[in-house]
Amino acid sequence: MSTADRHRHPAPNPSPNVWDLGFGAAVLALAAAALFIWFPRDIRGAFIDIGTGGNPEPGDAFFPVLLASALFILGGVHLVASALGRTSPPPDGDDAPGRLTLGNLRFFALFHVIVFIGMAVMYWLGPLIVDALNGVGLFDASYRQLVDTVPYKYIGYGVGGLLMTLVLVAWSEGGLRRRSLYTVAFVLVGAIVIFDVMLSNVPLPPNANY
Amino acid sequence: MELVLDYVARGIMDVFLTADGGFDWLPLVMVFVGLILGIVIGATPGLNGPFAMAISLPILISVFGVNDDALLPILGFLIGIMKGATLGGAVPAILFNTPGTPDAFLTTLDGHPMAQQGQGMKALKIAHFSSVTGDTFSDMVLFLTAPVLAVFIESVLDLPEKAALIILSLSFMAAVSGRSVTKGLAVGALGMLLALIGSTLSGNGPRMTLGIPALGNGLPLTSAILGVLVLSEVLVGIEQATRDRFSRISALTQYPDADNSFGWKDIKQIMPRVFSSAAIGTIVGALPGVGTTLAATLGYDAARRLSKHPEKFGTGLPEGVAATEAANSAVSGANLIPVLSLGIPGNFAAVFIILAVESVGNFTLGPSVFRFTEIKVIEDYGTIINKDLVVAFAIFTMMVLANIFNWTVGGWVIRFLGILARIPKSLMLPIVLLITMTAVYAQDGGFLAIWVVLIFGALGYLLRKLDVSILPFVIGFILAPRLEELVRGGYSASGGDALFLLKSPLALIFLATAVAIVIIAGRRTDRLSA
Repeated sequence: MSTADRHRHPAPNPSPNVWDLGFGAAVLALAAAALFIWFPRDIRGAFIDIGTGGNPEPGDAFFPVLLASALFILGGVHLVASALGRTSPPPDGDDAPGRLTLGNLRFFALFHVIVFIGMAVMYWLGPLIVDALNGVGLFDASYRQLVDTVPYKYIGYGVGGLLMTLVLVAWSEGGLRRRSLYTVAFVLVGAIVIFDVMLSNVPLPPNANY
Repeated sequence: MELVLDYVARGIMDVFLTADGGFDWLPLVMVFVGLILGIVIGATPGLNGPFAMAISLPILISVFGVNDDALLPILGFLIGIMKGATLGGAVPAILFNTPGTPDAFLTTLDGHPMAQQGQGMKALKIAHFSSVTGDTFSDMVLFLTAPVLAVFIESVLDLPEKAALIILSLSFMAAVSGRSVTKGLAVGALGMLLALIGSTLSGNGPRMTLGIPALGNGLPLTSAILGVLVLSEVLVGIEQATRDRFSRISALTQYPDADNSFGWKDIKQIMPRVFSSAAIGTIVGALPGVGTTLAATLGYDAARRLSKHPEKFGTGLPEGVAATEAANSAVSGANLIPVLSLGIPGNFAAVFIILAVESVGNFTLGPSVFRFTEIKVIEDYGTIINKDLVVAFAIFTMMVLANIFNWTVGGWVIRFLGILARIPKSLMLPIVLLITMTAVYAQDGGFLAIWVVLIFGALGYLLRKLDVSILPFVIGFILAPRLEELVRGGYSASGGDALFLLKSPLALIFLATAVAIVIIAGRRTDRLSA
């Protein structure tokens, strides 16, 4: 084969990129699931309706089916191209883009654990404190009745937000510095001033959910 | 001509005058504050213009509401951020060799060596002059071309052609914004599919809600986009920070004093490079999906090729700083050309302009904006006028205002922002997460918005890790309702012809071009893999 021929018909990559194969397969599976499981159960209208004048008109399922079909074709094309080694070469090294490593999954899981704990504190702390105060007989009111009362409306957001943000900062920096604590506290106070003091009818988390 | 001037005058008055004829400070103040905030955000590591626009939008809507009067203050603020952030990005790049964005990397090549030689302030002045000149040039092209283009489009494009044009734009975006065109197209289609969740077309009720009643009103748009755009970046950034936690920016080096003046001689020296880069940035900015990084790369490369001393680039040459900054700033005005004339966003900043317009008031983007309807005052009825065109000229006026503020105050502001460039990303990114969660909760009033941010953030993280561009996803998500409307309308108007898209010669040309782009981009991937 001449150099010109090689340029026109580049040799396929000897080892197909498994991440590209996986991407194509996932898109294909998602499109198939949408077409055959999701849409039939979740779209009440038809693909084509007959209008009042007897003309065919697009139904509720028309565009979603077209999109999912396009997705199916694209997934298939990508899968075949990957299998033939016609997509990008496999990522070289753990940090190379184009793949998910176990380290990425560990990071992702830990990040979300921190966020969910922060959100749980945001959601539950206010009601728990109010319940405790009710329990010792300091007053008789539910958290719902106090969502617009200082300091109860700030407790969950302040403590949950501070905890979540500081843990993430400490994790990123390998420790917690006083400067970080002050900065995050300043931002939280700023957010409270902007969203709760300056704006009306704008609830801070979690007060809209009570 | 008289009619055009009448509309221009009404647009200008719309910015400066209240309904009862008094002077209106608000749009002026909003542009100014937005610009200063944009410069500050651009100079802060881990933050960028689209992020600031994303966070500001729900706050602005909470403050001003969603009626017609709210549109100009909100757009003024967003335009200010968009313009300021590009300029601010030069500060950390020049002073600390820490580019916040890929395009700012090219500014470091000559900007930081200038700082090391004691000419940091001069480099900032050059960056300011070049950036604002590039931006102004680009805006002028926008003002002249968008109306002409829109009038042309309005006269020749019907439903099938407009649908085909959106498909062409998405194909182009998928081809240029990532390494694989099929991946780009697939995520674009996926974005469109997800945008349909909870949408309602007929008496059959909401579609595709996955059995979750809370999705019956559709996915919260801003939350979804903030998730895929901002949270995914936070995830990637914090992950990087946990790995690099021991590498910190070195202590501020004291550089020797040197000549930091910037006068006519310097302007004469850099002007040819500023204009060539402004032209490149404007052309690149007008194309959907091609961003500031390519503009900066092409601008810098052209400046080096045109220079008599190409070997000196990278050693602290003012022309290098000027070329990069003029090119990346020229993108911001031109990328509003497809937005205003077609309603198609070409980059993330334009996405938030479109989101603002869709959320606030009755302004509709697209070719009909620039219809020069004869202005008639009918007694006991009112004035017949194209209000959208007045708003368009008001937007142009606010862009001019932002440029004037940028010329006069911007250069002064960036010289004081060196300290911000030293805030570590490891501190900023968790704060960004907290603000994002607070803003979406406040806008959409519940934890559903936070769940949407987290789910779309996870999707964005996955796409980034798999080296798939998220731009086609976001643009697909934004354009899905419009494309559905066009496709359904075109199909109905054709009397149920399944091949209606192929019956119009122009639509056929657009689709053939889309196919050609996909094939060419696919072959490029082939060559890369071989």
